[in-house]
Amino acid sequence: MSAVSRSVSEAVTTPPGGLRAVALPRSRRGSELAMLGFAIAIMAFAYASVGFGLNGHLPSGLVTYVVGFAVLVLAAHLAVRWLAPYADPLLLPLAALLNGLGIVMIYRLQESGIGNNPGAVISTLTTHAALTQLLYTAVSIVAFIATLALVREPRVLQRYTYTLGTIGLVLLAIPALLPASHSAINGAKAWIIFGGVQIEPGEFAKILLAIFFAGYLVSKRDVLSLAGRRILGIDLPRGRDLGPVLVVWAASLLVLVFESDIGTSALFFGLFLGMLYIATARTSWLLIGLLLFLFGAEVTQALFHHVGERFTIWLHPFAHGNQYGNAFQLVQGLEGMAFGGIFGTGLGQGEPFHVPLVQSDFIITAFGEELGLTGMMALLLIFALLVQRGLRAAVAVRDPFAKLLAGGLAFVLALQVFVIVGGVTQLIPLTGITTPFLSQGGSSLLASWIVIALIMRVSDTARKPAPQPIQDEGLTQVVRAG
Amino acid sequence: MNRSLRRLSIACLAMFVLLLAWVNYLQVFRVNSLASEPGNSRIFNEQFKNQRGEIIAAGGRQDQVIAESKLVKGGVYQRFYPDPMAYAPITGYDSVLGTTSPFGLTGIEYAENKYLAGSASNLAVYNLKGLFTGHSRQGASVYLTIDPKAQAAAYDALAAKGIPAAAVAINPSTGAILALASYPTFNPNRYATQDTNQLAKIDARYRHDPSRPLDNRALNDTFPPGSTFKIITSSAGFGTGRVGSATSTIPAPQFYRLPGSTHVLTNDGDAPCGDGHPQIIFAFTLSCNTAFGKLGATLGGQTLVSYAQMFGFNNFGQGASAPPLTIPLPVTPSAIPPGLKDPAETANSAIGQFDDAVTPLQEAMMAATVANHGVLMRPYLVQEIRAPDQEVVQDTQPVQIRRVISSKVAGYLTAMMESVTHNPSGTAYFTASPSATGGLDIAGKTGTAQNGRNNTNLNDAVFTCFAPGSSPQIAVAVIVKGGGFGAAAAAPIAVKIIQAYLGQH
Repeated sequence: MSAVSRSVSEAVTTPPGGLRAVALPRSRRGSELAMLGFAIAIMAFAYASVGFGLNGHLPSGLVTYVVGFAVLVLAAHLAVRWLAPYADPLLLPLAALLNGLGIVMIYRLQESGIGNNPGAVISTLTTHAALTQLLYTAVSIVAFIATLALVREPRVLQRYTYTLGTIGLVLLAIPALLPASHSAINGAKAWIIFGGVQIEPGEFAKILLAIFFAGYLVSKRDVLSLAGRRILGIDLPRGRDLGPVLVVWAASLLVLVFESDIGTSALFFGLFLGMLYIATARTSWLLIGLLLFLFGAEVTQALFHHVGERFTIWLHPFAHGNQYGNAFQLVQGLEGMAFGGIFGTGLGQGEPFHVPLVQSDFIITAFGEELGLTGMMALLLIFALLVQRGLRAAVAVRDPFAKLLAGGLAFVLALQVFVIVGGVTQLIPLTGITTPFLSQGGSSLLASWIVIALIMRVSDTARKPAPQPIQDEGLTQVVRAG
Repeated sequence: MNRSLRRLSIACLAMFVLLLAWVNYLQVFRVNSLASEPGNSRIFNEQFKNQRGEIIAAGGRQDQVIAESKLVKGGVYQRFYPDPMAYAPITGYDSVLGTTSPFGLTGIEYAENKYLAGSASNLAVYNLKGLFTGHSRQGASVYLTIDPKAQAAAYDALAAKGIPAAAVAINPSTGAILALASYPTFNPNRYATQDTNQLAKIDARYRHDPSRPLDNRALNDTFPPGSTFKIITSSAGFGTGRVGSATSTIPAPQFYRLPGSTHVLTNDGDAPCGDGHPQIIFAFTLSCNTAFGKLGATLGGQTLVSYAQMFGFNNFGQGASAPPLTIPLPVTPSAIPPGLKDPAETANSAIGQFDDAVTPLQEAMMAATVANHGVLMRPYLVQEIRAPDQEVVQDTQPVQIRRVISSKVAGYLTAMMESVTHNPSGTAYFTASPSATGGLDIAGKTGTAQNGRNNTNLNDAVFTCFAPGSSPQIAVAVIVKGGGFGAAAAAPIAVKIIQAYLGQH
């Protein structure tokens, strides 16, 4: 309860007089609509380009896909006008552009080798994969709108800190407890599979744990940043403050090692470290965290064959026939990107089908091959912009919970892009996680859109003019509880 | 918390900058090293996406396409050889293994791959044009000096003979190769399959075939030259002044006991050579072994070697240290023992036995040198290379290797070689005289070379010649392995090639 009162007091201690004098800030929804138009146009051109690249004809589903996609993102735009009118206008168009390009690439991969199209058929993709992805987009946009509608203020979530944290951990644990037939895909035991439905709970746990970390750290950040003994010039935190966090970290790490999903494991730990750093501004936490991480990596590498193997193929992808064995996927991706060179082969004109499961973790290499270094850099810059706008929302908002939440979500987005793009390009050892918005699959897309909704909610909170009556009420209600 | 947020935002930026720098490294600086990784499927598939240039036999009145790439099902290009067997030793094959295997490409397909594939640096401007117009890369076409008519005649005649043989025809004044055939041969279309298992099967079958169909006998197989070597022995005799002219007499005993040996050299059928002191033209016409064996022994081994090397033997005397002749197909050097001294060995060498070994191309170069008034021209197969827009990007100019003999000596030799076919007692009178060939003026020399252990194998039939004797336009050499007499087995093939070539000019 102290967390809630603290945030209220902080919001109120800033002089309200200044705010009142400022004219109503512009909502910038018009700019957002214009940029969405660009995003839709780029998606449409890219989609047409796939058809021309593959067989010289406009692809048959052009109208369906472009109109369907346009309707969805415009619905999202209208919802933003209604539910978060002051949100950052850049976030929605950037996310929409990535999502649109993802659909285009999945369509391109699905069409490979079909009919008279050049290339080999990708057996792991159905002939309606792109349509399914469009459907996932529809579900995701609904979730995006629902998130904006349900979470009218970021601090609403703070009330459920521990509830959401528990749900997050349970979600993470479910695949480990399920039999492999209901949880394992391609070696990673990170799924819930029932009937034809596959859900990757880790994607949602990521958001829930970010909320939990935010709530927890808001209430504890004073303690965490002040107390402790000083050893070797480093301020160590007190053991009792460390407890719950260590438990969460160890639990998520354990669960993930049992699920053979190293990528998500690294992501959680990074998320936690990043948020801890935002909350305390203490470099000592980073040092402790990095040491813990290195220790964890060393231990897991020794204990689990698949972790050590990742290091071997990272360092020597071409040695001892690795390129035909464990490193096959990595090597095919690298050769594809090199084949694309600076300008790429053009959509539909490369050979991304050589990369096994190119539609999921390795989709960025397909972009690298067909759009070249140019397209690759554009995509990375879009991600970078998305992250920076998220962090900017965190800086702008006053509520510390919202600050932590937006900062954490933006940081985990950056980390996820770094881990997967760095992994498939041999910059760091490869760990299988999805590329946000681009990879095929509903869970990842849905989770990514919820993240954008939450960041936009924080951004809206930061930019919207404070309503008059609440302001006055707040003044009369000054409670120095913190 | 804003201070830590800003720091974190810098950290995020750093991560993206690192990624951006890394993909730059990957997609700019590592492009070549990754492209050359063994097993790079994209580089492998590249060959099917671009239209490979044509190979065209362009040395005759009408050009004939002998290798072309056509679009087949699945939108990929496949290589076709319209006249596969006749041209196999020239075109070689283009298999899916391409440059990834030492056996992936052979012949002109290998030698001119840079141009055919369109990757040569002087085609860069055309490739750049293609980049902007959206056309896929197209290879340059290779125009050969081969005359389709002469080539067809050569291959058909060899195939009709049905035993291992080879024929080469050269334009003596330029060195341009007009025909180059080898038998038995292979079908390069079989290698153009895109199924690598099928390819391995075909290749294994050809490679293990005892008739060695993949060998290019015209360039890479050597045979004893037999009596055709007497052209060189005569050249050395004239050149050193030991023999004054074609009508000078030389000693020619019926039986010539080789110096320091019990071996006795005889003429064909142990016949005498005239009165024992015939004119050299007479001994040449009848191909007396004793006359030229003795002449060789008199001249000495090293003189013989130096003349043979001027004609091209022992890689023009440079041995194995220098790069061998390429036309641009690599040519196996013909051989004479460089340290030849022993008089008995020299005598045998002088009549084309002992360890002498020639390629059919070397035989043709000998006749062509005489025909070109004593000047040896560098043989070549590729006349020009044209970019997809027909612009010539490379053009071959005839190159003089050296003057081997004076034009006077060449005149003596021409007279002697004409006598072989014109004189009723000449060794090739019955198969290559004007009356036997419908009025052709052929100047030639036959060879019937003993070979094998203790000379127990069938004799190799050799014939080297040029025509017309008065104004030579074509020099031809034919070797038929185990064919018997050069005049009977090899000369008729040479006559057919000459007829086909001169018949259209």
